[in-house]
Amino acid sequence: MKTFITKKAHLFAGHSEAAFGLGLLAPAFVCVAVFAFYPILYSFYLSLQRIILSLPGRERFVLFENYRALLQDAAAREALANTLAFVAASTILEVAAGLGIALIINRHFRGRGLVRAAVLIPWALPTVVAAQMWRFIMNDNYGLANLIAFGADTGQYRAWLAEPMIAFVSLVAADVWKTSCFAALIILAGLQTIPDELYEAAAIDGATAWQRFSRITLPLLRPALLIALLFRTMDAFRIFDLVFVMTQGGPGGSTSVLQFYGYQKIFSEGLMGYGSAISVVVFCVTLAVSVLYIKMLPGAARRGI
Amino acid sequence: MALTARRTCWCSGQIRWRSFRLWCCIVAACMCTTCAPDVECPSCVLRFVTWKPGQPAVWDEIIALFEAEHPGMRVVREIGPHSSTAFHDMLTQKLKNKSSDTDIFFMDVIWPPEFAAAGWAEPLDRFFPEPDRNEFIQGALLANTWEGSLYGVPLFIDSGMFYYRADLLARYGLNPPVTWPEMVRQAHLIVAREARQGRHLFGFSGQFKQYEGLVCNMLEYILGNQGAIIDQQEGRPAIDSPAALAAVAFVRDEIIGRVAPRGVLTYEEPESLALFIQGRTVFHRNWPYAWEVANDPKRSRIAGSVGIAALPHFSGGTSCAALGGWQLGMSRYSRNKKAAWAFIRFLTSSRVQKLLALGAGLAPTRASLYDDADIIRKYPQFAAMRAVFLGAQPRPRSPLYPGLSHVLQRYFSRVLADPGADLRAEALSASAGIGKILQLAREE
Repeated sequence: MKTFITKKAHLFAGHSEAAFGLGLLAPAFVCVAVFAFYPILYSFYLSLQRIILSLPGRERFVLFENYRALLQDAAAREALANTLAFVAASTILEVAAGLGIALIINRHFRGRGLVRAAVLIPWALPTVVAAQMWRFIMNDNYGLANLIAFGADTGQYRAWLAEPMIAFVSLVAADVWKTSCFAALIILAGLQTIPDELYEAAAIDGATAWQRFSRITLPLLRPALLIALLFRTMDAFRIFDLVFVMTQGGPGGSTSVLQFYGYQKIFSEGLMGYGSAISVVVFCVTLAVSVLYIKMLPGAARRGI
Repeated sequence: MALTARRTCWCSGQIRWRSFRLWCCIVAACMCTTCAPDVECPSCVLRFVTWKPGQPAVWDEIIALFEAEHPGMRVVREIGPHSSTAFHDMLTQKLKNKSSDTDIFFMDVIWPPEFAAAGWAEPLDRFFPEPDRNEFIQGALLANTWEGSLYGVPLFIDSGMFYYRADLLARYGLNPPVTWPEMVRQAHLIVAREARQGRHLFGFSGQFKQYEGLVCNMLEYILGNQGAIIDQQEGRPAIDSPAALAAVAFVRDEIIGRVAPRGVLTYEEPESLALFIQGRTVFHRNWPYAWEVANDPKRSRIAGSVGIAALPHFSGGTSCAALGGWQLGMSRYSRNKKAAWAFIRFLTSSRVQKLLALGAGLAPTRASLYDDADIIRKYPQFAAMRAVFLGAQPRPRSPLYPGLSHVLQRYFSRVLADPGADLRAEALSASAGIGKILQLAREE
């Protein structure tokens, strides 16, 4: 590798190796700048203005006025609370379920390949399709949830998505069903890096199954678990499609989340400035949480990201 | 003339091959000199943003008729989503981008002020002579007017309608209810008696999901109790007035989870209509199209036993229906405006509205069609419902309507879905939200 680079460097005669390195980095940097930094900065720039598409000609800079209004917006606070609750509930359940799935498909049994492939099916489904399916499951007339709960006694059938609390729980359930396998995949990769010798040695020392799990598996899985948490947290903050298809934020705003609220502001109401302020808040919160997670990762794993 | 045709042709083309385009233009140039003198370019592709119609056959027939009468013009339909809100978001996205690939679009009755103020819809005054306008139902035209200009032509009217099971009412010797409390009493009576025969029914179904239709449904209760959402004279929100609060409380205490299943909190039009046409509810609130569906023996179990009436009201009030309906608008960024107008004029003409009325059950916007013998023969209720159509009440008119609607949807849904919610406090907070939006629209 080293020789290859040196040889290449000679092609850029007169330039230092550092400049060559920068040259190699440039395309990636340009991509990130164009597709990540520019939209983020532009969103921030928009969020400092009052732009209402249906009232053109009145655009002006308002500095942090949109953020101040956001703090006073009860619907936005509710959406933030819902988002945080959703993030907490869904990531914890997903990583826990993912750990369980990973432990199972890490064992040797007949048909393991088939099971490993099958586990990924929910994740492979487009979210819109999965959300529509969950909407049907929760339906008050022909939903599977009612059939399971009440059998053929249609008089008992309930409208799950009409209850604010249950609608929210359904959203979490749909997300856990859909993405636990993604967490499982990352954790499975982590499991496979743990050498078998450790378990053998522990078994010889007389460690119980629980001790092997809590003293060997869990500590060595920590980087994988944190990475799974990191990805799931970032994704959960941006939840949109499940809400859009399943509940449209209802009933009574009980499933309204920040991204959906921001979408309504920008795309339905044409409030470009205010909607951008919501996006910036989502971005900042996600960034802060991600940085926190990355700080918690051990050094080696951190460099691996 | 030929030059104009050539220029328009170059821009309208979807066909990319240069030679083919050139060939097209030569043909177009020839045609321009021979036919359709009032249309600037007869060889245009008109792009029409529409939704998937309930009765597609009649639409195919109408488009084919237009193309036959305007040789060289082609109408390409782009099908948007069924939900009005989703359709709005898709369409405005195109218009925001100033995309010229839309010539004509459908507008829900609440959009013209927004589309006009944003500069997305072309003012139609120069195309649309005054005498022609007088043939339209004035309330429908008013909905298309913003700051003195006309931005759309209404194609059909929707208004809230009250449907009932004529067979069940006859069985128990009842007349269609005139007031909401009477409807509730009748519903409980019929449901209880039918249950004794082993037939399990609900009393009523309507649209109470958190979406635009919720605003229409609740508006009808509030207006029927002499309340209002916005006090038009004062320009102030009136959602927290005692009349409005009483109407909302009635829906919460007597309708949701009582005569109507709690599931209505998740229903839009199709789900609530499904319950009615399966014969599982006695009463139903919907738009005029439901008549056609409910009486179609292929789709409905209650075909032939459906009655229709004006919506009930509260004692002391009068029956009020929410005004709906769809308008045809022209994109300001269209490059084929004259041709687009030809299409709008054709679709809203008397004979096409008649086709739509007969083939799809859509209520016409030209007043004279309510006296048309063929239409009345097929839809006797149009004669009886004429007063309902003419008196249908608009939702608040504002370029910021989507924002108003979101505040209202959230308020209604909260107080209906959560019986523990503090009605007065929620109404005050909704009122403050509406006041803020009205203030924003007034500024400068």
